[in-house]
Amino acid sequence: MAAEDLPSEFDVVILGTGLAESVVAAACSRVGQRVLHVDRRSYYAANWASFTFNALLTWIQEIQAESLSEEVQDRSSLVEEGEELIYLSGSDSASISNLQVFCYVSEEAEEEEEPANTTEEEEAGAAGEGAAKEPSETESAGSKEEEAGEAAEGDEQAAQEQGEEPKADQPQPSAPPSQSEPTRKKISYTQLVKEGRRFNIDLVSKLMYSRGSLVDLLIKSNVSRYAEFKNVTRILTYRHGSVEQVPCSRADVFASRQLSVVEKRKLMRFLTSCVEETEEHQAYNGRPYLEFLREQQLGDNLQHFLLHSIAMVTEDTLTKVGLASTRHFLRCLGRYGNTPFLFPVYGLGEIPQCFCRMSAVFGGIYCLRHSVSCLIVDKDSNRCKAVIDSRGQRISCSHFVVEDGFVGADRKVATPTRLLSRAVLITDASVLPGDSEQQVSLVTVPPTDGRPAVNMVELSPSTMTCIPGTYLVHLTCQSVGSAYEDLSPVVTRMFCMAECQDEENRPAVLWCLYFNMADGSGVEPEGHDLPSNVYVCSGPDGALGHEHAIKQAESIFLKILPEEEFCPPAPNPEDIIYDGENTSPTSIGEEEEEEGLTAAGGEGEEKQQEQQEEETSLQPEE
Amino acid sequence: MSMEDYDYLFKIVLIGNAGVGKTCLVRRFTQGLFPPGQGATIGVDFMIKTVEIKGEKVKLQIWDTAGQERFRSITQSYYRSANALILTYDITCEDSFRCLPEWLREIEQYANNQVVTILVGNKIDLAEKREVLRQRAEDFAEAQSMLYLETSAKESDNVEKLFLDLACELIREAKQNKLDNSDTAPMPGEGKTISYLSCCNIN
Ligand SMILES: Cc1cc2nc3c(=O)[nH]c(=O)nc-3n(C[C@H](O)[C@H](O)[C@H](O)COP(=O)(O)OP(=O)(O)OC[C@H]3O[C@@H](n4cnc5c(N)ncnc54)[C@H](O)[C@@H]3O)c2cc1C
Ligand SMILES: Nc1nc2c(ncn2[C@@H]2O[C@H](COP(=O)(O)OP(=O)(O)O)[C@@H](O)[C@H]2O)c(=O)[nH]1
Ligand SMILES: [Mg+2]
Repeated sequence: MAAEDLPSEFDVVILGTGLAESVVAAACSRVGQRVLHVDRRSYYAANWASFTFNALLTWIQEIQAESLSEEVQDRSSLVEEGEELIYLSGSDSASISNLQVFCYVSEEAEEEEEPANTTEEEEAGAAGEGAAKEPSETESAGSKEEEAGEAAEGDEQAAQEQGEEPKADQPQPSAPPSQSEPTRKKISYTQLVKEGRRFNIDLVSKLMYSRGSLVDLLIKSNVSRYAEFKNVTRILTYRHGSVEQVPCSRADVFASRQLSVVEKRKLMRFLTSCVEETEEHQAYNGRPYLEFLREQQLGDNLQHFLLHSIAMVTEDTLTKVGLASTRHFLRCLGRYGNTPFLFPVYGLGEIPQCFCRMSAVFGGIYCLRHSVSCLIVDKDSNRCKAVIDSRGQRISCSHFVVEDGFVGADRKVATPTRLLSRAVLITDASVLPGDSEQQVSLVTVPPTDGRPAVNMVELSPSTMTCIPGTYLVHLTCQSVGSAYEDLSPVVTRMFCMAECQDEENRPAVLWCLYFNMADGSGVEPEGHDLPSNVYVCSGPDGALGHEHAIKQAESIFLKILPEEEFCPPAPNPEDIIYDGENTSPTSIGEEEEEEGLTAAGGEGEEKQQEQQEEETSLQPEE
Repeated sequence: MSMEDYDYLFKIVLIGNAGVGKTCLVRRFTQGLFPPGQGATIGVDFMIKTVEIKGEKVKLQIWDTAGQERFRSITQSYYRSANALILTYDITCEDSFRCLPEWLREIEQYANNQVVTILVGNKIDLAEKREVLRQRAEDFAEAQSMLYLETSAKESDNVEKLFLDLACELIREAKQNKLDNSDTAPMPGEGKTISYLSCCNIN
């Protein structure tokens, strides 16, 4: 395409298309600012992106290839009297580390599936081979073999050789199909690649609290019209070596088979009593929540559920915080479904893109594969007055918003680098098979012997993130060691690797990826050695929700435009009716009533009954 | 607003190089205008037009690119859950035709499998400046199993036909799907209707 030049003057230039940057872009365009939004990458959403399987393999390759650090071009010729340059960093590859890939399925198609589109096959195949090469970190990951035992050795082989000769996978004529899952059939690597476009694999793993600030913002701004959402249908927890469902809604509690009648009554009483703060609560404020729970004589089961799955806190969390979390959980419950959470259809990477679309609709100019190489700072005012883009064009701006990764380390406040450990698995069955194969589950794995608590999200094909017959499992924790060290113990406990014959009937892992990502909550929003009109957005944080990025975006917006409203509702196109002859729009709804989110196709018919009873259609809260 | 009076709702998405006339086609069809007023698209996400076909009311929700095609930066989410794609080029601009394979790759990546795609050669009022022969475009469309139509947003040639043909095709497919999938619920996002459910709050 002809390299059209960008306009040379904007109000706000934004580099990076992560969630916070994209929200700022939408908010600024919405109130009439001229916004230029660029990203060096060829895809949207930075470390918040979702990839098809093939695109993920390419991403892996790129990370492993180590970014060829672009030559810093001397731009001093573009500087005028009284100005100085700040060079930005060319890439942010440092935010991902310890990447390891394992493949446990055969290269050969073992079963004739319906012929899929074959056009992608070649390039994807090539990418696959590249991905099979392990990064050097793998070899040095010393603790690995002990951890995962012989399985790991086999895996490593499989992973390294997957391009040529998968040793691990023999057809398993003798393996009887498991009883609970008669349809479980083998999926080959070729099939993953062939149907790769039907995967949407997120780099981050988060959920949307149904009353969290992201959902509120999506509704308020009408950005919700660009996406659809599924309910998270179950909350599970891993306990005593098995996976159990956590009863969390009233309906769940009554339907629960794990709880005794006494426990049910206790739980209901406890949850009801939580809603209002009492003197008893206050008395415990400074003491651990666990102590408070013990005092309630709830018993082990309930205590576990309440601490790890409902409050989602640790044993030493204070009662004040634990209760606040519990209340928040309860507040979010039942807005859209039986759990407090939603998940976007096609993955979380849709969310930043939805905000970018909103920005574009209001005139924002979008340009991927394009970067800003330096800032031009006015020496007197210490403000950034222009940027120079990767093509050497000078573009003036009043504000500059930048993803943390593009800011050179020399300019940043030194903070201890915190990392998140991530694992992504493609599996062949649910960790807790149920009546429906389309469950979307949050699984809490409490901390064990010094290892951090792990959040696990299991997505079914109904979320359009994986192909039928598979599940996409995301694991996340604060890192202690490498992602592999932190998470593979959980993976080996809860899953079997595809070739093994598992008596416990655990789901098989077909393919998996481990990596560490910089924890965005470790980035200081302020205090960097940067001009006052330059605002730094951090990458994804480790929390389950999106609070951090949304709060950050709002605060940046308010610094840029203190007088303006943050993301007022966009007019609803449904209200602009053109019918044939009549050439003028009939009406444009300015004051929109709350529209709500599109909750796609309800799951769990079995619950429908109870839910309906509870659904007293309240007016949206203000 | 939720209980609207239509039998079908389809999401139609326009793509193609900048300048080929996508916005003009939408405006011509929905408003009967050419050229559309400057800057008029600001803040408008999509246009709605309800048409009647063989006694059935069909609501067309027509999405424009919001300018993101200018630097080849269309968001994937734009393609999601589109029922039909109008891939447009300008018959007076060879380059806009040569870019079609690139657009097809993007469609293949992000649009859903059953999406109906129609190739449109626009600006036939500029016959003397034609750079892409009709036969060439027809052959290309056929090879990619796309429908093909030539239009002029300026003269309002074939614009109505474009959208009505598309609507007919979508109805035909919808009826077919209903037969085929009578016992399996459509996957969300692959379904043929889009609905904005209002939220229900409970406590
Ligand atoms: C432990 C915890 C973790 C949360 N994690 C997320 C998340 O990851 N993503 C998300 O979207 N929302 C999260 N929330 C909810 C979020 O912080 C807000 O509470 C939410 O936006 C609801 O806002 P509100 O105005 O309804 O409630 P608010 O009035 O803001 O908060 C209700 C109560 O929750 C307490 N609270 C709020 N946030 C936290 C927190 N992070 N830790 C401890 N107490 C808190 C407040 O002090 C208050 O007592 C979390 C809440 C809690 C309690
Ligand atoms: N002659 C002629 N010009 C057209 C036609 N359609 C669009 N144009 C012109 O082509 C230019 C680009 O049109 P526009 O709709 O903005 O293209 P878009 O970028 O694809 O949305 C404008 O100058 C239009 O006036 C047409 O059918 N005939
Ligand atoms: Mg246009």
